[in-house]
Amino acid sequence: MIQLNNIVKRFNIATPDETTLFDGFNFQVESGEFVSIIGSNGSGKTTMLNLICGSLRQESGEILIDGRDITHLPEYRRSAFIGRVFQDPKMGTCSSLTILENMALADNKNKRYGLGRCVSKKRTDYYKSLLAECDMGLESKLGVQVGNLSGGQRQALALVIANMADIKLLILDEHTAALDPKSSEKIMEITDRFVRERGITTLMVTHNLRFAIEYGSRIVMMHEGKVVLDLKDQEKKNAKVDDLLKIFNSISIEAGNSL
Amino acid sequence: MEFISSIEVFLENGFMYAVMALGYFVTYSILDFPDLTVEGTVLTGGVVFALMIGAGINPWVAMLAAFICGALAGCVTGVLHVKLKIRPLLCGILVSTALITVNLIVTVVGQGGSFTGEGALTTVSIGRNAPTLYRIFPFNLLPASVLNMNIRKLLAFVVVCLIVKILLDLYLKTKNGMLLYATGNNEQFTSMLGQNPGRSKIIGLAIGNGLAAVTGALMAQSRGNANQSMGIGMIVIGIASVIIGTSVFKNVRCLKPTTKVILGAIIYQACLSVVTLLGVPTAYNKLIMAVLFTIALIVSRQMEIKGRRGAE
Repeated sequence: MIQLNNIVKRFNIATPDETTLFDGFNFQVESGEFVSIIGSNGSGKTTMLNLICGSLRQESGEILIDGRDITHLPEYRRSAFIGRVFQDPKMGTCSSLTILENMALADNKNKRYGLGRCVSKKRTDYYKSLLAECDMGLESKLGVQVGNLSGGQRQALALVIANMADIKLLILDEHTAALDPKSSEKIMEITDRFVRERGITTLMVTHNLRFAIEYGSRIVMMHEGKVVLDLKDQEKKNAKVDDLLKIFNSISIEAGNSL
Repeated sequence: MEFISSIEVFLENGFMYAVMALGYFVTYSILDFPDLTVEGTVLTGGVVFALMIGAGINPWVAMLAAFICGALAGCVTGVLHVKLKIRPLLCGILVSTALITVNLIVTVVGQGGSFTGEGALTTVSIGRNAPTLYRIFPFNLLPASVLNMNIRKLLAFVVVCLIVKILLDLYLKTKNGMLLYATGNNEQFTSMLGQNPGRSKIIGLAIGNGLAAVTGALMAQSRGNANQSMGIGMIVIGIASVIIGTSVFKNVRCLKPTTKVILGAIIYQACLSVVTLLGVPTAYNKLIMAVLFTIALIVSRQMEIKGRRGAE
């Protein structure tokens, strides 16, 4: 499904601070996998997602999705088959428009944004049914400006919107990190339901080791631009938070940090 | 008498500048793009319009042509920003500076001068027989003056302003129009919808500058000519109208934002008229404009803070 081949990514090129994050990085994801990516700050988790989505460009190497080379496709063109939810709930929606208008815009994804009326009354029942699945009371707030919603509600809406179009890949970039524990639990449940129902290939970056263990079909731990742990199937099922923490700490100590 | 004539002036100016303010609403409020190009495009619109009706062309056609020329200038600003990644303010400065030359050459060449910029007047006068909007059907059916006011001209401006408002309202409800809100608020969102946010910005800037050019066309009719200093101070008028309108009527939910902007433009012109009535010489106009705008900014911020406290 996803192939990252020989990726080289540097930051602050041609300055004294030049650093190489990825140097010949390879990574594959199979179709239908739900991968949780963990790792310390600066390990390259989010950079990898940004490279896949096209928000950042690699210095060399290629990215393939379903065998198609998307290396030179701009971000907005890749969005045709990628749904994305960010850490910041503000990023996934438009705060100056209402829930209804946000959904109507998203409903038109991958079609032409011409001079037809954006909001169609006929579709509101469909929107309500999608929102009702989140069980956050959003279905009765269609006319409310998104800027007035709570972070959890906005993130739920962003998740619904990201899944509205026919996407091949769902990218979740620490999408529960900015929420309170209860909301983040809730968003994680909704995420899991969406992913299971549609069997969509998913990459989730998280700092919550419990989420990584409880949800998904594969755990990947990254460190300094390399994959240091990759658990699938039975190994993944047997993994425990403590085990992950131990590995995490040992890497940290190797890197010169003591706890 | 003086009182009635100042009512006429501020209403006429109000509706005239409201068209440009509606354009500013698109670029400044929706797209969050402080566009300085209008200083040039207002004059472009005025020159194109005055030259065309001077040649006997229908004023509606001439206004449409002015809109298109303004929109093209807006596209240039947009392309500089989107493709060459130049900052919004700089793009506006670059294009409006370039337009000074373009406008001058168009003015001179349009009146039989040469491309060196010599050999003709730098002002396009609208002759007594030129088909201005208020001299043609249906406005010519109105009485020439009521209460000493030239209501033909006033009504023509009102009609143009309302047509622009209605079209803009309709456009903003379309998918393409709604995308402008998304782009201005959160470019990432537009991008996630599979759309190029740059394209959306260019469209918004084209609309904003097209409308500024229509105001230029109205100004030329109001003054009877288009001269090279016409665009000066337009940015302040545009932004002030938008800010006054949206902050004074902030809590009036039944008014559409476009209506608020038009009211803002009229209020701003009314304030300027009051200042003139008080006996301040017209030479002080631009200074007064800037001062009034500053007051509007401070008041709108105070109201915002108060509103936030009220909400808590």
